[in-house]
Amino acid sequence: MWWYVLKRILQAIVSILGVSTIVFFILHLSSNPVLLMVPPNASAHDIAVLTHSLGLDKPLWVQYLNFLRSLSEGNLGYSYVQSQPALSILLQRLPFTLELACTAFVLSLVIGIPIGMLTAFFRGTWIERLLMPLVLIGQSMPAFWTGILLILLMSVVLKWLPSSGAGGIQSLVLPAVTLASLSMATIARMTRSSFIEELDKEYVKTARSKGAKTFRIMVQHIMRNASIPIVTIVGLEIANLFGGSVVTETIFAWPGVGALTIQSITARDFPVVQAIVLFVSIVYIVINLITELLYVWIDPRIQLGGAKSV
Amino acid sequence: MKISSFTQIGIATLALTGLLAGCGNTSSTSGTSPKATASSTLVVDEDSDPSTLDPGLQYNTESYTVYRNIFDNLLHRDPKTEKIVPWIATSWKQQSPTTWVFTIRKGVKFQNGESLTANDVAFSLQRILNPSLNSPQLSNFSAVKSVSASGDTVTITTAQPDPTLLNELVTLSIVPEQYIKAHGNQYFNLHPVGSGPYEFVSWVQGSSVTLKANPHYWGGEPSIKNVEFRSVPNDATRIADLQSGKADIAFPITPSDVSTVKRDSALQVLSVPTERVAYLAFNALGNTPTKSVLVRQAIAYGIDYKGLISSLEDGHAQPVKEVLTPIAFGYDNHVAGYSYNPTKAKELLKEAGYPNGLTLDFDTSPSYDQRVVQAIQAELGQIGIKVKIDNMDQSTYLEKVQSPSHNWGSIRMGLWSCACMDADGTIYPLFHSGTVWSSYSNPKFDAAVTAARTTTNTAARLADYQQAFNILQQDVPGVGLWQVDALYGATKNLQWTPDAQENFFVQDMKLQ
Repeated sequence: MWWYVLKRILQAIVSILGVSTIVFFILHLSSNPVLLMVPPNASAHDIAVLTHSLGLDKPLWVQYLNFLRSLSEGNLGYSYVQSQPALSILLQRLPFTLELACTAFVLSLVIGIPIGMLTAFFRGTWIERLLMPLVLIGQSMPAFWTGILLILLMSVVLKWLPSSGAGGIQSLVLPAVTLASLSMATIARMTRSSFIEELDKEYVKTARSKGAKTFRIMVQHIMRNASIPIVTIVGLEIANLFGGSVVTETIFAWPGVGALTIQSITARDFPVVQAIVLFVSIVYIVINLITELLYVWIDPRIQLGGAKSV
Repeated sequence: MKISSFTQIGIATLALTGLLAGCGNTSSTSGTSPKATASSTLVVDEDSDPSTLDPGLQYNTESYTVYRNIFDNLLHRDPKTEKIVPWIATSWKQQSPTTWVFTIRKGVKFQNGESLTANDVAFSLQRILNPSLNSPQLSNFSAVKSVSASGDTVTITTAQPDPTLLNELVTLSIVPEQYIKAHGNQYFNLHPVGSGPYEFVSWVQGSSVTLKANPHYWGGEPSIKNVEFRSVPNDATRIADLQSGKADIAFPITPSDVSTVKRDSALQVLSVPTERVAYLAFNALGNTPTKSVLVRQAIAYGIDYKGLISSLEDGHAQPVKEVLTPIAFGYDNHVAGYSYNPTKAKELLKEAGYPNGLTLDFDTSPSYDQRVVQAIQAELGQIGIKVKIDNMDQSTYLEKVQSPSHNWGSIRMGLWSCACMDADGTIYPLFHSGTVWSSYSNPKFDAAVTAARTTTNTAARLADYQQAFNILQQDVPGVGLWQVDALYGATKNLQWTPDAQENFFVQDMKLQ
């Protein structure tokens, strides 16, 4: 297994290099950030001077080699707009995204999995008819709509919770619920279909005929067998959440990575965008690796790196 | 011991969760956002976080709005009269057409206790002029040749007579030379120290900047003791913040939000006509039908300016006769301007050789109100001009319309404020043939605006601008749509009169 992990880490380095290369070229070919930085009355000469000073007039391949050299030294560059190292800008925003993502993740898990189990077990009953529309709403309402409705109700009308900003538990509730609603729905649906598949299997009938309690069957017998697809989807959801939610963070003025992403792309702040993309790709790769390792933990029959012949 | 599958799944889930280092526990870094419960705290919602708090760097509104309260500028524009008045410079004299001498106020101290001297003033300008700072503001002071300090005076020399130097110096913030030299630019940006009415307290990037009143301010301690500038990018959220009492003042607000704010009995709309002009510019140099002056005139006659002001701007705008606002120096009230005349527009199109109409590209970006763009599209459709809207992001838009090849569409919309109250800051960069924005060329116009920017004789300048606006009226390289109102939503407890330059000076405000 360690050999497998090592191989995956090497693969990860190649992927990250690939991602950063693609992003580097997309960004640098998109347009000149200096145009957005200078005051409107700037002359072509002023623009050229600043472009030269930032090294943006060098041939693209020279800029790319410089970028790779800095990257190999662990230097992610210096923000054009914010006059600070890109990494320190990212690190300042990260705790906010982690706080929001963790809360949303826990919420979507503790609500999503039980809903999935209940709707699977009580198929065709009023429980399913009550819960499935909730899941559907969570899945189909876009965050910008859910967010604004929640602000209107909880902040403007009822004045229970702050309408925006980050500071304390209270301000976390609305953005976390907004962010969780989509993940919750996804996890609930996956849990439901995974459980439904298992419910008809022989071992469940055996357990029932032995008189096992429903709860015991659900948790002890089915859960383990149904969990592989759930863990997969949960892993993907975590990665999504940790990349920072652009929409939710923007609506709630939450100063996380998502809000920083949109701000830096709009300003063509290349070093910051590159730092964010690198970070998000590392998150995806690490979480995928962890998910795969968890498969082995859950189901020892799974062999990573290709099964040995029996 | 056999671990039950439930426990195993539980552990698996916890493992996934637990790996996420740093989960929770960020409230300590996020700080608390003091709600304006005490009337001494003003909470301000801006649409964006300041890029920098070093006044030598970024000059965008969101940065300037915040840092201008920490720093004093060399000169000040009286918000009531719009006249330039003494501030850090108590007096000034033009010794020769290119030499200006400023006397610096005595007894002003920076918030770290150091005295503000003429050396600090000279340093503040020199560091912007020094290319190694990469200051985007360099263009504002590109006319300055040298600056030096001696005793309590500062001498600024310009390469040629510069009539708008004082206007630019209104935006020059004075920074502490010793402090910056001791700590470096990067530290200064994150821990700014100025001589202004408010002291820097903290900056949670992307979220908020907190300031407190400077008790030793030379102009007297401000009435509002604490200010929190919050960054709230979403329009609807800023309005919700006002309604829920989270914020005391929010801007920008859209004309369509004005009625929401007005309906709330606890809120008020503060508005003022600014020196910002909304305009259309035409591509008169590229290979497009707007090359023809008749087509450009037809477009100018084809727009119902008053209708747009009342329907889209909700009345929060004033008609203009040219691409400049009446409050700026050089505005010529004698020019006829253009008004809505669709019959004349159709005749002009026929005369230009388009009896059956034509198709034009309207290049734009989300930075401009798309409702206006679409309304103009509909109005030009009425006179037989089919408009194709090409909407791109702002940086692509700039790259395209500023390209020296003039290879863009036919029409673009703009919002322009030079923050200098002078025609030079508007029609020179927009229409002089050598600038990045201009897709128009007329040697007579070039000569007039160049003459106006190289003399400090007011009467001569006014005559030059009269000539320039007469040429523009005839050639129509662009047409003024309206003078933009600045709109702020605020609690009724706030007493403040906004000014035409869209300054945000908290020391001029009072909370009841």
